[in-house]
Amino acid sequence: MAGLSKGAAAALFAAAAGALCLLLESSLPWLVKFPAAWVLPATDWVGAVMEWFLALIKPAARSFSALMYYPMEAANYVLSNTPWPLVIFATTALAWILGGVRMALMAVVGLGFVLASGYWPESMNTLALVAVSVPLALIIGGGIGILANEYPRIRQPVQALLDVMQTVPTFAYLTPLLVLFGFGPVVGLIASAIYAAPPMARNVLLGLERVEPEIKEAAVMSGGTRLQQLFQCEIPSAGQQIMVGVNQCLMAALSMVIIAAVIGGFDDIGWEVLLTMRKAQFGQSLLAGLVIVIFAILIDRMSGTLTQDRRQKHDPRVAWGILALGVLVSAVFWGSVQQPGTYALFNPVADSVDRGLSAFTSANAEVLTALKNNVMFYVLLPIRIGLDQAVLPFTWGFAWTPAMSLVLFAAGAAAAVVFAVRGQLALGVMLLIAAGMLETGISQLPWPFVLVGAGALAWVAGGRGLAILTVVLLGTILLSGLWERALLSLYLSGAAVFACAVMGGAIGLVSAVSPGVWRVVRPVCDMLQTIPLFVFLIPVLMVFQIGEFSAFLAIIAYAIVPMIRYTRHGLVSTPDEMIEAATASGATRWQMLKDIRAPYAAPSILLGLNQTILYAFAMLVIAALIGTTGLGQSIYLALGQADVGLGISAGAAMAILALIADRMVQGFAEERRKALGL
Amino acid sequence: MTGSDTPAITCRNVWQVFGNNADSALKEALSRHETPETAALELRGKGLIPAVQDASFDVKEGELFVIMGLSGSGKSTLIRCISHLLHATGGEIRIDGENIVEASPKRLIELRRKKLGMVFQHFGLFPHMTVAENVAYPLRVQGVKKKQRLAKAQEVIDLVGLGGRETNYPRELSGGQRQRVGIARSLVADCSVWFLDEPFSALDPLIRRQLQDEFLEIQAKLKTTIVFITHDINEALKLADRIAIMRDGKVVQIGTPADIVLRPADDYVREFSKDVAKGRHAHVSSVMLPGEHHVYGADDPGLRQDMTLDAALARCMELYEPVPVRTPEGKLVGVVNPADLAAALQVEQG
Repeated sequence: MAGLSKGAAAALFAAAAGALCLLLESSLPWLVKFPAAWVLPATDWVGAVMEWFLALIKPAARSFSALMYYPMEAANYVLSNTPWPLVIFATTALAWILGGVRMALMAVVGLGFVLASGYWPESMNTLALVAVSVPLALIIGGGIGILANEYPRIRQPVQALLDVMQTVPTFAYLTPLLVLFGFGPVVGLIASAIYAAPPMARNVLLGLERVEPEIKEAAVMSGGTRLQQLFQCEIPSAGQQIMVGVNQCLMAALSMVIIAAVIGGFDDIGWEVLLTMRKAQFGQSLLAGLVIVIFAILIDRMSGTLTQDRRQKHDPRVAWGILALGVLVSAVFWGSVQQPGTYALFNPVADSVDRGLSAFTSANAEVLTALKNNVMFYVLLPIRIGLDQAVLPFTWGFAWTPAMSLVLFAAGAAAAVVFAVRGQLALGVMLLIAAGMLETGISQLPWPFVLVGAGALAWVAGGRGLAILTVVLLGTILLSGLWERALLSLYLSGAAVFACAVMGGAIGLVSAVSPGVWRVVRPVCDMLQTIPLFVFLIPVLMVFQIGEFSAFLAIIAYAIVPMIRYTRHGLVSTPDEMIEAATASGATRWQMLKDIRAPYAAPSILLGLNQTILYAFAMLVIAALIGTTGLGQSIYLALGQADVGLGISAGAAMAILALIADRMVQGFAEERRKALGL
Repeated sequence: MTGSDTPAITCRNVWQVFGNNADSALKEALSRHETPETAALELRGKGLIPAVQDASFDVKEGELFVIMGLSGSGKSTLIRCISHLLHATGGEIRIDGENIVEASPKRLIELRRKKLGMVFQHFGLFPHMTVAENVAYPLRVQGVKKKQRLAKAQEVIDLVGLGGRETNYPRELSGGQRQRVGIARSLVADCSVWFLDEPFSALDPLIRRQLQDEFLEIQAKLKTTIVFITHDINEALKLADRIAIMRDGKVVQIGTPADIVLRPADDYVREFSKDVAKGRHAHVSSVMLPGEHHVYGADDPGLRQDMTLDAALARCMELYEPVPVRTPEGKLVGVVNPADLAAALQVEQG
């Protein structure tokens, strides 16, 4: 293969495999559809092993769950029986200490809204769960982080474990937990503690590793014992990074507590959203969703102040004053404060939202349906099942013929030749492959081609090790019989990621060029990143009802943010010297962007893409609630049937897809960084 | 404290090798090779990094011993071996006669609390503690009561001239002030052996000179044994009683500043001393022909043995009459007094 670049060789190889499959598919049907007889009953095995294992630790788990019942009940009792004025005043006092007047005002307004919405008792139930799960997660995560720092030998496996824990979709945790702990709020509590611990562990480890070596040495030379070094010098020095961990831990716990509401059994705010959504009371569900968003923002911003470098000091006497006032108000109006759940100031608003929404959807029914159908018929379906099946007389106005396939392939081949002549063989061959995939549809790609293609891509991205890993992991999905569902998941997340890359890249570009645009885009991005996953479903459901298109939109809304951020950041952070050198060479603004900023930003943009992919996979599972097919649906089904085998296998398959995508993109980013000498 | 005849620090054949199974690889290489050079070569061939090779020297009590070398020469590694921040792969390191390579962790903590102090290049200050808390920290780990330790800290803070800054945090101080905190912290526990790892390298030249002078004053007051690391030959010559020059992990020469400047052991050391104004560091005695029967002229400019070469030259130049200065065509434009020439070349009186 002398003379061929690595990329070109891999592309040619994959194209050959694809062509071979295409030629043989009529005579060898097992190439397209993996024969059911070859499938190992892996799901059942996993189920059997897990059930045996779960039964083994069930007594311990149940007693733990019984143990957790007390702090949870206590937190619940305290939060729901404390008079609401006191809760509001106490939160405001805390907000003052953390962030001064602005933060205090935010707390008052936010909690005031919660109170007025009538969701106060439900919110307190949710908060009680968070209040117990967060300390648990902080202790577990902090402990893991410190241990991994103390014993370098376990650092690698711990980091791998944290990676996996972050890629396994949230719902997949729930099924085994359900079996272990039984229905009830404790499952949500434990799931949220498990989900929230990794970011804490990660940040503690990162913070401790990043403590300047000389600070560690100074602690040693001062004659401290190891414990003194750790707790008096290293941990406080890493404080800021650890606080980032606390912030992420809080957000993750809140997000998971709300997701865990799908198991039900607890009268919390997530359950309220789900219930109203099912009853199609979108005004109410939007209201409940807003309450969640308010809590997310309050928790995020308040704990976010802890991560700031130089915090302003706010007078604690003011906080004590606010608290005293709270006690006073609660005491004086003890008898006359209304039950917090009986306020419903926004119900009329919610009702009118409902009415307005029905009016809007029926008035614009044609436009909305047309939008939905156009995207479905002309974009999503062809990607999913291929042009040969998606092009039908009643949607496209004509039927797909073999001649058209030929034209498509001929066009692809012609483009490939043109690019090959111009020295870009790899790009040309990839165009040809893309034509083939468009013709076939992602969900019906022959499995040998997927294995070969993914292997080739992995080989280019990360060498032989990654290629082998990719093929082996994909092979397990194939053998476990989850292949078709995996391809469906791949298709939907792939389409969403592609849309995010195009749109997010464009928004990022515009934001980089114009600070005015960024001033608008930035708070929107901040907002989108604070909102728990679950809430994204409400607006898309309101307008587009249940279905794949809604899921598609929800995934895009959630996953587009990193693409925007990283693209802008990469483009903006080109070193001044390079810009000055380009200016001195006489480059125009456009040339500067194309020749200097874009290449320099490539690694950063790739990292953004990586994040977008992971976000898309995370949302895919949540989106299963509103109707998607594929692995997400399987995980959701497994939850309903308490089918541990299916839940774990589907979760693992999902994690495998995410992991492979993650490693590949990281590989490409690493290569670009090296090429730039960064 | 032991008698002045035992050296404060003794290093015998100290090795520090980085890499997998460095301990056994070093033993094997040493048993197979006669000279440290060939042993080091074998280690390198195996992919290991012999950062310090066979370093041996003594530091007398109260001596200011400077280890000089460029980056990557192993000087920072060597000082970390002596202070046992790194466990030396091979050899023997004795502090006041006690082999610290074999000391137990408990004994090491005790040694650090009572005997050793260290100053770092980038200061190594604890960002979450005030100046006073930073300085008092070595006493805090020993369990000294807060009032007592802050009182003791105040003494050293005043000694390094940071009075009035006690409640500031490190980030609020300039580089020079931060290093004063570092110095104060290393002194608070009354150490008898003081390690300084490029303490002034991160500072700008003016501050550096100021701190060097203050450092010499502190040293004159406290008379501790000092191991001082630097990459700056001029700093080494200014401060040192004796200098060890390191290259690629080996100690290539140990000697007084005059030895290093006038009798470099090899081309590498000579290359260093090239940049040095020798006249400032060598004394008349180093070029003097000893004895009383030599023939000499009628003039006596008043030379003494301990004068620097610069000063001696200036004295000799004063004997000359003014000499003419001409254009290329030979036209007289003025005269120069040789004494002025000598004075102009002499940056400062040695």
